[in-house]
Amino acid sequence: MKDDSDTLMTTLPTPAPRPSWRKAAIAYALIAPPLLLMVFLIFIPALQSTARTLTVDVNGTPGFTLSRYIAFFQDPVSVSNLMFTFQITLITLLVIFLVCFPLALYLRFANGRLAGAVQVLALFPLFVPGVILAFALIRFLGTRGTLDTMLSIAGFTGFRTPYLKPDAIVFGLVWESIPFTVLVLTAGLRQVSDALIESARDVGANNWQIFWRIILPQISRPVLIAFSLNFLGIFGSYTIPYLLGPAAPQMMGVFMQQTFGQYRRPDDAETQAVITFLICAVVGLLYVRTVASQRKQEQDS
Amino acid sequence: MATLDLTGIYKQFGSVTAVHDVNFQVQDGEFMCILGPSGCGKSTLLRMVAGFEMPTSGDIRIDSESVTALSANRRPTAMVFQKYTLWPHMKVSENIAFGLQLRRLPRAVIEQKVKESLALVSLSGYEDRYPAQLSGGQQQRVALARALVLEPKILLLDEPFSSLDAILRVRLREELRRIQRRLKITAIFVTHDQEEALTLADRIAVMNAGHIEQLAAPSEIYASPSSLFVADFIGAMNLIPGTVSGGRLMLGALPVDAPAGLSDGPVTVAIRPEDLVVLDAPQASAWSMTVEQISDLGYYRRAILEMPGMQSLKIFLPKALEAQERGTLHVYARRYLVYRDGNAPQEVVRGLPVSAA
Repeated sequence: MKDDSDTLMTTLPTPAPRPSWRKAAIAYALIAPPLLLMVFLIFIPALQSTARTLTVDVNGTPGFTLSRYIAFFQDPVSVSNLMFTFQITLITLLVIFLVCFPLALYLRFANGRLAGAVQVLALFPLFVPGVILAFALIRFLGTRGTLDTMLSIAGFTGFRTPYLKPDAIVFGLVWESIPFTVLVLTAGLRQVSDALIESARDVGANNWQIFWRIILPQISRPVLIAFSLNFLGIFGSYTIPYLLGPAAPQMMGVFMQQTFGQYRRPDDAETQAVITFLICAVVGLLYVRTVASQRKQEQDS
Repeated sequence: MATLDLTGIYKQFGSVTAVHDVNFQVQDGEFMCILGPSGCGKSTLLRMVAGFEMPTSGDIRIDSESVTALSANRRPTAMVFQKYTLWPHMKVSENIAFGLQLRRLPRAVIEQKVKESLALVSLSGYEDRYPAQLSGGQQQRVALARALVLEPKILLLDEPFSSLDAILRVRLREELRRIQRRLKITAIFVTHDQEEALTLADRIAVMNAGHIEQLAAPSEIYASPSSLFVADFIGAMNLIPGTVSGGRLMLGALPVDAPAGLSDGPVTVAIRPEDLVVLDAPQASAWSMTVEQISDLGYYRRAILEMPGMQSLKIFLPKALEAQERGTLHVYARRYLVYRDGNAPQEVVRGLPVSAA
C-alpha cells in the first residue's frame, strides 16, 4: 500500500515563484495613483509657479529675471512680514517644546487615571478645527471676554487683551500644535527604556542630567520631526493668524491672501508663495533626512 | 570596608507582598548570590538595595550607615543590569566615563580610570566603539566596567548573563569571579541559575515567595537543604513521599531505615542521584529497578529507574558501568534526608551492604 505522504508529495505541485518583474509591476501599479496625484496637483503647479516668477516676457519671448524677487526684498512691508513670520514661527516652536516636553515626559513616566486624563486633555485640540479654536480664543481672550471678566471679578482691572496682537497668534498656534507634538515626543520617549534611565541614575545622574545627557540625545529624531513638521504648519498657517493676529505686520499666509484677493496682485502673491515654499522646502529636507536616517538605523538594527 | 545589613525588609505592591521580612548581612569582600525562581522577589530585593524601590518597611545599612532614604543616585552602589543598558548614543569610553564626569573628576583622571577599567574586563582598544558594534558579551563586560570604575562599596548584579549563550555565560562568570576576588569588592548577584550561584557564591540566599528559605555556603545548601523547596530547587533530587508507622519508614511498599525518634505520619524522603549506589547483586536493603531511560551527558550518564509501588528515580551512572534500557539495576540509597511539615530535615547515612562494600 502506498504511503499517504508519498501521494501528497506527488500530486501537490510546488507553486511556481512569481516572476520579479510581475511583483515590481504590481508594486508600481499600487503606488501610481497617489504618485500621479502628487505630480499633477502639487509638483507641476509648484514648478509652473516657480518658473513664472523667474521669467519675463520680452517682446513675446520669455526671458530669465529675478526682478520679482528683487522687488519683494526691496519692499519693506514684504520683508517685515517675512521677518514677522519667522519670529512668530520660532517663538511658537520654542513655546511648543517648553509646554510639550514636560507633558510628554509626564505621560511617558506616569501611570494611573490622572495620566490618562492629562493625555485626553493634551490630545483634545486635535479634534477642534482651527476656525472654532480661533473664535473660542476670541471669546476667551478678547476684551470683555471670559478671562477679562474673571480678572475683573477678582479685582484686577489692568488686563490688556492679546487679541489682535502677535501673542494671540502664538497662543492659538501653540494650542493647535500641542496634540501632534505630544504624540511624537511621547512615542520617542517610549523608545528610551526604563533600564537605560535607571542605569544613568545608578551611576549618579539626577533628573536633569538624565534628561539632558541620556534622554534628549536618544530622541533627537522625534524632536527634529516634531520641529520640522510644526515649522511647516506654523510658517504657512492662515486661519489663526488671520483671525487672531494684528493687521500689520502679517504672517505670510495672510499676506499672500491679501495680496492676491484684496490688492489683486497675483504675480506678487505667487512670488510670496514661492519664497514661502522654498523656506519650507529647506525645513522639509531636514524632515526627509531625519526620517531616512531613522529608517536606515531601523534596517541596520 | 563595606558591609551590607538588611533588617526586616518588607516590600508590598498593592496587596502582593513581594519581599517578606528579609534579614541578612553581607560581609566585606563577600560574594553573595540571591537564588530563586522567577517572581520570588530576588530582583525586587536587589532593587531596594540599589535604591530603585523603597522598602515598605525595614532598614538597609551600608557600612553601618542607613541608606534606606537615599535615592539611587546617592547610594554607594553600582549595578549591572539584566538587559544591555549601555547608552546607545555614547561610545564605550563615554559610557564608562559618564559616572566619573558626574563626580567632576579631572579629565586626565577619567581617561586613566576608563583605560584601567577596560583593561580589567579585557576590552582595551574598544574605547571608540558604539554599543551597537559590540557583541552581547562585550556589552555586558562594558556594563561591568562602567559599574566598577565608580569603585562602589557594593556591586549589584541582576542576572547580568541571562541573555547570553551558555558558553559565554560560563566564561563571563569565571571572569567576574576573578575580578571580584582581585578587587575584593562586596558583591550581590541575583540569579535563577543554580549552577551560576553554586560556582560563584561565597554564600547563597535561596528565596521563595518573598522570603529567604536558606542562607548558607553553597556546599551546605547542596548537602543539607533546609526545606523541601530548597531540596527540590538546588541540584537534582529525588523526592519520594513516605510514611512512618511504628518506627518503620515505608516508601510505597519498600521499607527503609528511619531516623531515630521520628513519630508516625507522612514524610518526604529526599535522595540525591549521586547518593544512589548501584550494587552488583540484589540485596535485601537495595531496590531492584528497571532502567527506563538513559541519557549520555558526556563524562557520565543519567538514568531514570522505575519499579512497581515506587516513583521513578534519577540516578547518575559512571560511563564504565554497563547498563541498558529495559535492564535491571540494584540500587542502594547510602544517604538521604527525611522532611516533615516544614521542620529541619533528619539525615540518614548508611554504610554499604557488606557484600557490596
